[in-house]
Amino acid sequence: MLLEVKGLVKVFPAPVFTGTAPLRALAGADLTADTGVTGLGGPNGSGKTTLFKTLAGILEADGGTIMLGGEAADSRRLRAMAAYCPANPRSFYFRLSAAENLRFFGALAGLSPSEAAASAVKLAARLGLSAADLDRRFDRLSEGNMQKISLIRSFSRRAPLLLLDEPFRGLDGISCRGLLELIAEAGLSSTVLITSHSRELLSAAAARTLRIENGRVPAGGPQ
Amino acid sequence: MNAARVIAAFIRRDFLAERSYRLSFALGALATLGNLAVFYFIGKLFGGAMAPQLEYFGAGYFPYVFTAMAFFGYIGTGAGSYAGRLRLEQTQGTLEATLSTPLGVIQLLAAMSAWNFLFATFELLIYALVGIFIFKLDFAAANWPAAALVFFLSAACFAALGILSSCFVMLFKRGNPLAWLLNNFEGLLGGVYFPVAVLPAWLAAVSNLLPVTYAVRAFQLTVHKGAGLSAIKGDLLALIIFDAVLIPASVWLFGLSVERARKAGTLGEY
Repeated sequence: MLLEVKGLVKVFPAPVFTGTAPLRALAGADLTADTGVTGLGGPNGSGKTTLFKTLAGILEADGGTIMLGGEAADSRRLRAMAAYCPANPRSFYFRLSAAENLRFFGALAGLSPSEAAASAVKLAARLGLSAADLDRRFDRLSEGNMQKISLIRSFSRRAPLLLLDEPFRGLDGISCRGLLELIAEAGLSSTVLITSHSRELLSAAAARTLRIENGRVPAGGPQ
Repeated sequence: MNAARVIAAFIRRDFLAERSYRLSFALGALATLGNLAVFYFIGKLFGGAMAPQLEYFGAGYFPYVFTAMAFFGYIGTGAGSYAGRLRLEQTQGTLEATLSTPLGVIQLLAAMSAWNFLFATFELLIYALVGIFIFKLDFAAANWPAAALVFFLSAACFAALGILSSCFVMLFKRGNPLAWLLNNFEGLLGGVYFPVAVLPAWLAAVSNLLPVTYAVRAFQLTVHKGAGLSAIKGDLLALIIFDAVLIPASVWLFGLSVERARKAGTLGEY
């Protein structure tokens, strides 16, 4: 599905009475990506996560347009079409098992309990996660395994737009290979955007890599 | 999206989370029984003599306060649980993940406190069993269909107040003036622990502005005196007006506050 982003602006207002300036995280970002895998590199604070959260419909843009499949996509449509894997595992219920978390978030994304469970088992095997780990309480998982659950949550949705923010974070070598395969498979039917600070992993995952700096994707195509 | 599946998912999630705190679960139930015992012994202290303010309701002090506490315990669930649940999601870091899905505002509101209402229903059942079999309360005169109507209107009204209260949590995280008002003044001014006729005129005037006053009075009259719809029509009308204004306003304002948080990028903040 073709994703076209033009002049995307996102400004975070300064907290009241702090005297600080608003943060212009996206300053007119342009981006085009079609079905397949596109990498997005850039230094810390360059706007990668803000761009992904805006494309996922979590944040409302302050300016610019987002088109998906040739149609304008507001935040509601983006939430229906995009799956976002955050860089931080603090988005799960720590006292519930990994499988229960996946069942819950699956329901919010329209998956039945059996679909969510089947998808969890299948994807877990691809990422080197055991069935016992799926049944373990989330807060008792290692950080790498938490990341795998986060990946399973986003891959399970089979969304037309898949946004993976630092997906290799905390993963061992074998799991990274499994993830690279999953990303390649997802790229056959979805538009996959992926960030990483590892140039090697980014180039292994994506044939095309863009760079974002100061909230803009400089013109000139792939970097 | 299947709304029933979403509600079931929220209930299952909250049940599993609550069950993981076993001691808190047991202590909560004991606290309810302890509260009831306090009022039971206060009732015994004053014997069977009926205060003039209670004659209107046809009940002694203990049956009055027992009924009001059971009733208020349930309808108060709506008032407190939305803000509480939302705040928990914020501090756990799960709010942003929940709101990154196609879940709509109305579905979220329907599901968010479903577990609290389910548990409150269970507590209400315990209240009823304890009242009948342990404290030997007599509800033979009750007009249950009228009581159910009052119950439904009141629960909806308090849920709307709870949703309004959660807007403050969505926007300001901590510092919730509506919750402060509900927690500190509903019991005092709404006739939960004593009839509002005991209050001085100026406080009674304030209590007339609160939906809890109409809700508790109408419920007491239907349960203890078997009052029919015509006897409580004033209270019913007040509750209907509160519902007609508060329910759409609260849902609309909650939607706005979510949008505002998306705009300000504060969904993930606590």
